[in-house]
Amino acid sequence: MTPDASELTLVDAAAAIAGGRTTSRAVVEACLRRIETFDPQLNAFVDLRREQALARAEAADAAIARGETPGPLHGVPLAHKDMFYQAGQVSTCGSRLRAGFVAGQTSTLLTRLDAAGAIDLGTLNMAEFALGPTGHNAWRGDCRNAWNPAHVSGGSSSGSAVAVAARFACGSLGSDTGGSVRLPAAANGLVGLKPTYGRMSRHGMMGLAWSMDVAGLLTRTARDCARVLSVVAGADRSDPTTTRLPVPDYERHCARGVEDVRIGVPRQHFYEHATPEIRKLMQASLVAFESLGARVVEVDVPDGNELTELGRAVVYSEATALHGEWLRHRRGDYSPQVAVRAASGLGIPAPVYLEALALRPMLVRRFVTEVFGACDLLHTPTLPIPVPTRAETDVGSGAAMWDIIARFVHCTGPVNYLGLPAVAVPAGFTANGLPASFQLIGRPFAEAALLGAAHAYEQVTDWTRRAPHLSAVGCGPQAT
Amino acid sequence: MSQIDPAVLRALAEAQGFEDLDGEFLARVAHGAANAISAVRRTLSGSLFDTDPALFLPTLEALAARERE
Repeated sequence: MTPDASELTLVDAAAAIAGGRTTSRAVVEACLRRIETFDPQLNAFVDLRREQALARAEAADAAIARGETPGPLHGVPLAHKDMFYQAGQVSTCGSRLRAGFVAGQTSTLLTRLDAAGAIDLGTLNMAEFALGPTGHNAWRGDCRNAWNPAHVSGGSSSGSAVAVAARFACGSLGSDTGGSVRLPAAANGLVGLKPTYGRMSRHGMMGLAWSMDVAGLLTRTARDCARVLSVVAGADRSDPTTTRLPVPDYERHCARGVEDVRIGVPRQHFYEHATPEIRKLMQASLVAFESLGARVVEVDVPDGNELTELGRAVVYSEATALHGEWLRHRRGDYSPQVAVRAASGLGIPAPVYLEALALRPMLVRRFVTEVFGACDLLHTPTLPIPVPTRAETDVGSGAAMWDIIARFVHCTGPVNYLGLPAVAVPAGFTANGLPASFQLIGRPFAEAALLGAAHAYEQVTDWTRRAPHLSAVGCGPQAT
Repeated sequence: MSQIDPAVLRALAEAQGFEDLDGEFLARVAHGAANAISAVRRTLSGSLFDTDPALFLPTLEALAARERE
């Protein structure tokens, strides 16, 4: 049987289109067929731009026929979290409050993807205002896990993860302020990269917390991620918080392997909530790294809970400032949980917020010196528990809210305050049939090392080659 | 962990124009904020007189990994 073109990884799709072995139209049509068949149950798309995508695909194929040199993403279908603005198009940011918001500018990242030849299929579901780690969205409807719709998709880049896992698109932009790329990537068996603060432009991206937000990437493989990162990373005059450090050829670095790389296993914090089966899968991934020539070493790490809470002092202060006017006058248009979280800055005095900001340079210096003096990459679970069901975590703003959030972001939250890069990598499956994931954390701007290690690991495992059987889990025409 | 009195929080919120906040809402906000405030207090170990938050990105750049060639 001829494989469905939507099964191609991003890199393979780009190569097949550039080499004339398939067409952009064939790949886009295959993705559209899957979206139309399965998305009614998964709820990943907000706005599917079918005709626009097909027109772009035909133009991409015509360019190949004329002998033009294709860009690195020529003809490849992507779709993005509904918070990357495109001039003249609606970006809802997952909220009723933005239901009719038409962007006046285009995100730098979308502009760069477009210049590289990517096809934009449309906008994707997300947690309301990117404030939610589970993927619930009371207004748009929950985005559902591609491996089992009864389970959470993870958030806040829920639609991004589900769309890539379900083979609706080859890759997606997300955002990560506390784990919002890595958590849905983990829950859906994908590679999810949170780059270093300053590595990717935020111009034309919805803000949640100016000091902490980063855009991120969700793809099926590390090499796919490296391809996209090479396209979108780098300084942007429209975003003064981007670094001027040069952008490496990330894809080339994927071939470096992990020989003699020191993989650090934290003695503190990151395993506090890890269940026995998550621990077992983490151990198996470490054995795989050792088989590749890496050295596994135990390392002491600073208090992760403190780092997460320091981050919250910043995020909630800034979020309350951003949302203040709507919280005063349109609070009923927020879901209860998001209203509480967006308003939590009301309880944080300005000096505390500024202290949390002022401590950052000192604390990241200390973390890097202590942790990355002893290892090259820190290895932790991404989500320390098996992916729960939507029902188990549908707590609204009730008493369990802070506990659920704390458990989800336990391993991802500390990274954001420090601004460090981290990548979530598929690491097998738990007994409930849902994906598990480990996280690699690196020194600032060590994205090449992270993706190189993830790529090496993928060569000795087959997790990234596994796809969810959507029909078998109740998606598709037979679903009621 | 020190607690934030929801009544104090209500007064501060009302001074900023936030009206009609119910007790449960304020209790949840107070809980989340108190955790964050406590973490900042525990982490402070000296004067911040000579610090500058604007140095965060330059600090990251200075700590950047050297690529293995």
